[in-house]
Amino acid sequence: MRVVIAEDLALLREGLVALLRESQIEVVAQVEDGPSLLRAIAGHKPDLAIIDVRLPPTYSDEGLLAAIEARRRQPQLGVLVLSQYVETAYASELIGGDTAGIGYLLKERVGDVRAFLDALHSVAGGGTVLDRQVVAELLAPRNGATEALSGLTAREQEVLALMAEGRSNTAIAESMIVTPGAVEKHITNIFAKLELPACNDDHRRVLAVLTYLRVSR
Amino acid sequence: MPALAAGLSIGEYARSLVRRLAFLSSVLVAAIWALSGQGYFWPAWVWLGLGDLVLLDFSASWAWRQQRGAVRRVACVWALVGAAAVILIFTWLLTWLLAGAQRFWPAWALLGLATSGSAYSLIALHDRVLVARGRRALRARIDLLTRTRRQAVDAQAAELRRIERDLHDGAQARLVALTLQLGRAELRVQDQPEIRGLILDAQREAHHAITELRDLARGIVPPLLADRGLVAAVESLSARYGLGTAIDARTRGGLAPAIESAAYFVIAEALTNTVKHAGASSSWISLVDEHRSLLVVVGDDGRGGADPLGSGLAGLRARVEALDGSLYVESPRDGGTVLQARLPCAS
Repeated sequence: MRVVIAEDLALLREGLVALLRESQIEVVAQVEDGPSLLRAIAGHKPDLAIIDVRLPPTYSDEGLLAAIEARRRQPQLGVLVLSQYVETAYASELIGGDTAGIGYLLKERVGDVRAFLDALHSVAGGGTVLDRQVVAELLAPRNGATEALSGLTAREQEVLALMAEGRSNTAIAESMIVTPGAVEKHITNIFAKLELPACNDDHRRVLAVLTYLRVSR
Repeated sequence: MPALAAGLSIGEYARSLVRRLAFLSSVLVAAIWALSGQGYFWPAWVWLGLGDLVLLDFSASWAWRQQRGAVRRVACVWALVGAAAVILIFTWLLTWLLAGAQRFWPAWALLGLATSGSAYSLIALHDRVLVARGRRALRARIDLLTRTRRQAVDAQAAELRRIERDLHDGAQARLVALTLQLGRAELRVQDQPEIRGLILDAQREAHHAITELRDLARGIVPPLLADRGLVAAVESLSARYGLGTAIDARTRGGLAPAIESAAYFVIAEALTNTVKHAGASSSWISLVDEHRSLLVVVGDDGRGGADPLGSGLAGLRARVEALDGSLYVESPRDGGTVLQARLPCAS
């Protein structure tokens, strides 16, 4: 896997580079702002870009805009956006029409190295990874627009949240301390309750999470 | 009475009648003098008397038109002094013309009149000059205070945003780098559960610190407000509350940070109250530029009865008033709640 990193804080950037090299992931370029990110992507044609939301010069949402632009130019590129805070509005903008190869995580998730590397592979492979905080916000009880999800039990919502983080069934089973068989049963129930069309399972997993995004917008 | 028909008051009509009578009498006495064999020109004295009457009338009415109080009193004094001076000079002129040359006897009287008039003016207007000077100084002071308070509020808002940014990009980012290093260390000690446990504990602590810093920064300035401005922040806020709030934003943006923050916290407090207390089925927000102010209105159709002196609203009022704004709450029982804040935008 070939990766470009856009992060302005040297300490974190170097940590990420070291971590990826240790994990046999090739870092082809490290940049500090949006325009150089776009140049690096055009030049190196990486599989994945890891992008900080706040980049110079204004430190607001350049990273997000650069990620969206990079995807527009190169739709098969996986982008993993890291942020100090999560906004469901940003998640919606980032996903736009196409959910494949999109990740949006809180920065501190890099600390859980194994889960972070899983997320990298998942996004580079066309998966969708949303931070559990975004998912929690999306699943929070509210007055309208929740009929689609109101039928889910608490346990099923928990499974849905973990699915949205890009975890495998085995990982979900481990974290909930249940058998993989029980997780599969929950997932089948979720698909049924959300009336998702029968297609490949990975795609349905993403659709399950995004059902809420669509309904709530 | 034709003059009355033309819209004159009775007083004005009487005055114009007096002027006409004076003119007619002057002509009449001159005719009588001419018909009665001429000789010593006595009608001049009648003219002087009638002229004095008209002169006094004019000067008195001029004085009366002045501003009430000291200015009018001074004008009355000068009207009298002026009329007396004119009368004296004309009397002297007549005696000189009719009886031959003599020294200018009204000189001392004129000097006395002018001196006493000036003295009276100085005394009467002295207070006024002082008051005017005091008022000017006061106005300058108010202008200065208003300006510096605004600068202080703006500087504080800018400083808060800088702190928010520093928290995110400084301490928080370093803690993230720390958790990453701890994560890498943890990978290397899989076979030493004791050390691994310590590392995981350290990582948990770092996570708590990051979360606390994030909550702190969010309380200072919500990041979306700093990054994308008021309208985006309000949209996100209302989405988070999930009330299906209708938002009508007609503001050209480019607001001062202090105004944006105040508007945001007004809306946040109003929506919190709506969620907690109102039991509303619909709510709305409008943001409109109006007369160089930002008008923020948040309403719902809930059960009303909000206490405008409650701590939340009192805090908001203080915040809004520090910007020379105003806050109104209308919340009749069972009649919904409307909260309106007007925030003047310094040009």
